[in-house]
Amino acid sequence: MPKRFNITLCDGPSCIHKRSKKIVSTIEEQLKKLELSGKVGINLSGCLGMCAKGPVMIINPGYTIYGGFAEKDIPEIIEEHIKNNKPVTRLIIDEDHLYNRFFRVFGDVNFFGKQMRIALRNCGIIDPENIDDYISLRGYEALAKVLTDFTPDKVVDQIKKSGLRGRGGAGFPTGIKWELTAKEKNDEKFVICNADEGDPGAFMDRSAIEGDPHTIVEGMAVAGYAIRAQKGIVYIRAEYPLAVKRIKKAIADARKEGFLGKNILGTGFYFDIEVRLGAGAFVCGEETALMLSIEGHRGMPRPRPPFPSVSGLFNKPTLINNVETLANIPVIILDGAEWFSSLGTEKSKGTKVFALAGKIKNTGLVEVPMGTTLREIIYDIGGGIPQDKKFKAVQTGGPSGGCLSEEYLDTKIDYESLAAAGSIMGSGGMIVIDEDSCMVNIAKFFLEFTQNESCGKCTPCREGTKRMLEILTRITEGKGKDEDIDKLLRLGNMIKKASLCGLGQSAPNPVISTIKNFRAEYEEHVRNKKCRAGVCQHLLVYEITDKCSGCSACKKVCPAEAVTGSLKQKHSIDINKCIRCGACYKICKFSAIKKS
Amino acid sequence: MNPLEIIKRKRAQAINRIIAKGYLSSKRVYVGMATCEIAAGSKEIMEVFQEAIKSGLSDVYLSQKGCAGRCNLEPTVEVVEEGKIPLKYGLVTKERAKEIIERHLKKGEVIKEWLIK
Repeated sequence: MPKRFNITLCDGPSCIHKRSKKIVSTIEEQLKKLELSGKVGINLSGCLGMCAKGPVMIINPGYTIYGGFAEKDIPEIIEEHIKNNKPVTRLIIDEDHLYNRFFRVFGDVNFFGKQMRIALRNCGIIDPENIDDYISLRGYEALAKVLTDFTPDKVVDQIKKSGLRGRGGAGFPTGIKWELTAKEKNDEKFVICNADEGDPGAFMDRSAIEGDPHTIVEGMAVAGYAIRAQKGIVYIRAEYPLAVKRIKKAIADARKEGFLGKNILGTGFYFDIEVRLGAGAFVCGEETALMLSIEGHRGMPRPRPPFPSVSGLFNKPTLINNVETLANIPVIILDGAEWFSSLGTEKSKGTKVFALAGKIKNTGLVEVPMGTTLREIIYDIGGGIPQDKKFKAVQTGGPSGGCLSEEYLDTKIDYESLAAAGSIMGSGGMIVIDEDSCMVNIAKFFLEFTQNESCGKCTPCREGTKRMLEILTRITEGKGKDEDIDKLLRLGNMIKKASLCGLGQSAPNPVISTIKNFRAEYEEHVRNKKCRAGVCQHLLVYEITDKCSGCSACKKVCPAEAVTGSLKQKHSIDINKCIRCGACYKICKFSAIKKS
Repeated sequence: MNPLEIIKRKRAQAINRIIAKGYLSSKRVYVGMATCEIAAGSKEIMEVFQEAIKSGLSDVYLSQKGCAGRCNLEPTVEVVEEGKIPLKYGLVTKERAKEIIERHLKKGEVIKEWLIK
């Protein structure tokens, strides 16, 4: 049986983006000529990170990479490789970057073809509980490399050059954070891995630790060497038991192999890591609150400066990095800062992990190069909205982020573009919302979350979000007043300006962005007492139609005795008595009750 | 020995240990075992494969893996054969796992309708 070949073409922005159509058509013509049409799969992937050698084409099985070829070479490649099974050696490029192994296993499926995995390069590939698996894939080589060839300052320099920015949300340049901590003179310094993931709908850090815990250990050890720290702490939620178990096992195994502890790899460098469990308070993801929590106090943020790099945990210089940030470190060391900075956009380098959730066909964890558009993530990778429903909005950045409407779908994903559109990158939660959702209700949901999780230390966040929530609740109950929308905006902007920490400063974002993009829906709620998505219970009207068989099921479940009618005859609902609980709607087997 | 030489040696040892566990078998099977996969029932699936190997299924290397990001299709099982496109089964149940063993692993028949595309 002849091999079933599959051709993957790099469709990255700096590669063959503009020429890809011509290349695809040339391939198709040649396949037709050789009577191979339909027998060879062709798919376009996102950036494969081999920009310097573009155009790039990968032929599977075998994972043969052709690069830098001209259009006239295509017929030869197709005929020799696919028809005669003899790869054209002069056009093959040898790329052994770390991330490639993921593509080798998953790249032929569309969902993965558009992705590029750096932070998640081993997730789904290796056994996370077996250190051998990690070592066999060049694990701990980055640590060995810095210990052999790099001074601590050179490590910092590489991270700076790479252009990596903090993946926890704010996007502060990682190299500068390292530099600031490294230049502090103190016998005791700390490296903290912030694995306190609390955004609704986000599961990137959990999956990353569960899938590849050693990467975090290695990233932390490299950071420890760079800033001359001896102690690392992984701060992780107790509600992630499997991630806790795996990171603990990884630390113990790494210690046994001599990657942690005294005299690491025979160099005299000492660094060790311990795990601290958080109780799962949203605010403890904020770095100053997180440190207080580790110290045994109640987690509450404090004003900065002093920044943790100067005075952090136990008043010692402390470097706090997010899980995903640390997962990028070994790749930057091994593949080079220059290579890393060739990926992404001008100011946002590398890739970003998103937890794709909500009303979308393919939910899951995706990692794409910066500069990929929202549309590509939602439609090409996510497969679009189920049941052919209409796209309404996408919520990025969790409760600190905003909702973007359809007109923003072509926004490129990087820190600046998302901020300019009125949302944020955040830690990477991405929730897709379809026409069945009410934007006022969504804003209320996120505000409820931040209001519950507000630590209460500063008044704008504690009191302000409560007042905002009251107004929103009023609106969803049909008791909104004309001035409420502007009041929400005014209050929201005040909270943003006056709150102490990033959580309070961003808490009003979902409300402000939904008002900006979906003001008409707010106005309908306030003026017409109408919820177009049919979500806000108090604004619904239930009505029994002619389909009613008179079975009385609705009458029996109605807690307000609003349903009347005799057996086998059409029933009716008394609007004044109805409490809009929807019990009748749910129980009716004849779809006889209309909700409007 | 400098650290790079040490890690090189460690890597060689690690690879040998993995091979000793049967990595070079003609088929490698990976079962997703992240929290979400386990919640979807992957522990049971893993047991089905473990049982099959105990009761004589040979030439198959079985391993767990973390999340590959296909939440809506969990539990997932990957079958990798050298030189072939790796295959990924989604929404695997105990019954499907047994069929994958009987048809794919024993007879080499790919069950196309269960594959993730």
